[in-house]
Amino acid sequence: MAVTAEDVKKINPLVPIRAKVIKIVQETPDVKTFHISTMDDKKPFDPMPGQLGMLSLPAIGEAMFSVTNKGESHIEMAIKSVGQLTEALHEIEVGQEVGIRGPYGNGFPVDYCKGKDILFIGGGIGLAPVRSLIMHCIKNRDDYGKLTVVYGARSKADLCFKEDLFENWPKVPNMDVFVTIDREEEGWDGHVGFVPAYVEELAPKPQVTVLCGPPVMIKFTLPTLQKMNFKDQDIITTLELRMKCGIGKCGRCNIGSCYVCLDGPVFTMEQLKDLPPEY
Amino acid sequence: MKTVLKTKLPELFEKLANNYTVFVPAKIEGISRFAPYQNGLELALEENVLMPPKDIFFPQTEKMYKFKAKDQYLEIEDLPPEEGQQVIFGVRSCDLKSIDCLDQVFLTKGFVDAFYQDKRDRSILIGLSCVKPMENCFCSSMGVDPQKGVGADIQAYDLGDKVGFEAITEKGRELLGKIETLLVEEAASVPAVEKFVLTADIEGVPEKLKNMFDHPIWDDICRKCLNCSVCAFVCPTCHCFDIASEVRGEDGTKIRCWDTCMFDEYTRMAGGHQPRPGKKERVRNRFMHKLRYFPERYDMLLCTGCGRCVAKCPVNLDITAVIRKIKEAE
Repeated sequence: MAVTAEDVKKINPLVPIRAKVIKIVQETPDVKTFHISTMDDKKPFDPMPGQLGMLSLPAIGEAMFSVTNKGESHIEMAIKSVGQLTEALHEIEVGQEVGIRGPYGNGFPVDYCKGKDILFIGGGIGLAPVRSLIMHCIKNRDDYGKLTVVYGARSKADLCFKEDLFENWPKVPNMDVFVTIDREEEGWDGHVGFVPAYVEELAPKPQVTVLCGPPVMIKFTLPTLQKMNFKDQDIITTLELRMKCGIGKCGRCNIGSCYVCLDGPVFTMEQLKDLPPEY
Repeated sequence: MKTVLKTKLPELFEKLANNYTVFVPAKIEGISRFAPYQNGLELALEENVLMPPKDIFFPQTEKMYKFKAKDQYLEIEDLPPEEGQQVIFGVRSCDLKSIDCLDQVFLTKGFVDAFYQDKRDRSILIGLSCVKPMENCFCSSMGVDPQKGVGADIQAYDLGDKVGFEAITEKGRELLGKIETLLVEEAASVPAVEKFVLTADIEGVPEKLKNMFDHPIWDDICRKCLNCSVCAFVCPTCHCFDIASEVRGEDGTKIRCWDTCMFDEYTRMAGGHQPRPGKKERVRNRFMHKLRYFPERYDMLLCTGCGRCVAKCPVNLDITAVIRKIKEAE
């Protein structure tokens, strides 16, 4: 049995369990996806889409990552190399033992999204958390309406989850996948341009949109979504701030009186409008 | 009321120390703080201690677990549990209220912090009433009764040359029973509290702050702040912490230590994104947290009016003046 959120609350939530990396996928030059199992080949915990896990190489550090997918006996985290810990993670090989604790955070409103057409918007590594919900919708395909993915990255090489984007997802019934890169390049005959403009051009008609990407993408996509007449409660995003404890105690991931690790990372535009713009 | 002469207190502590670790207000190398009682300790009962009791439950640096990391191998090992009951004597009302705030943070909202809970569960709190507020005290303005704190197992009263005891909880009654032979039952009245020099008018401030995030007042308030964090380190309610590793060869210990929103590192992310880039944002967060965010989340202020930050701030950034500026702001 995988550890549930309730179990985590009973044990010491700040102490990780020992786990191992069973597979590493090089997604882009600076993004790798790590498949992680417990030492006895089980899922370290059973996250809901959008929930987080604290991964550590204890001698170097510990950081919070979204769980991008889960399997029968593992979870997956897609990690971009940007700092001390993530650079070290990019050096490890299959078999590496790591510390892991979680799940943390609220996750995406999977029930609220049921029966609805969903537009997923991702930029760069921002597809990682969104992918957990996409995978959930695919797994429970009959529970959700039309799925539309609009994803962009700087270049072809920087596109994460290429197998999903070009092989797996286009085969899913009633699912469209649109991929764009920022600038023309040799060997790319797909769309070129930024995500917000592409969304506007495609003008899909979903009921709910789920977006995650760099702040600049979010900033320019929101006016587009507003033009598309989304209600604020139907614009859903997931945020990232520096975190240490993951349980709403250590203080640093606050936005106003909310803690991203506990009350987030998923917020609707309706909720964000009530919070100070400090993220 | 059961009383004891102040001169007899060492005897009382001595007796309790047979069964408990007894933390008492003491002067250690010129700094007043809570310290385990031992013979010859210089007690500090005349006024509140500089360092609040929070480090008894939430140490400035605390070991969390051990690990061994070699090549691909990792081992994670719990530390041996700490044992033994502890008595904390002489906690003033402001600091009792701060423990109430810390309880909210560490014990509620879904997750229980096991390190904090363990120390809290092993503790018996003896409050101590105040008669003469210190020059920077303003607890009564923050809804704290200087004569009687919240959450104590026993409330002790400063009766001049004596201390009176009133058991509040069952744990407290039991503890008083153990020192009964040292106590005298007599009629005693608790002296009135003298006038406060410092006051603050907090009425309506949390609500008013809801619309003051972008107010120009913060440019003014933050100007002289050095981001030195002494306010947070002497604060009985500040509870933010960092988690770090101490590594020696293959062996390591995970520790947590006090941290503060005054520091750039506190919120700066890998990759460089910084949601609170300057001291204005950090100073604003500190006061917003104490006066608006915490009341929103836990329905109580995160300032108990102990006055320590007022006393120790090197540039006299006085929270009562901040409250006044907020009140007066248009």
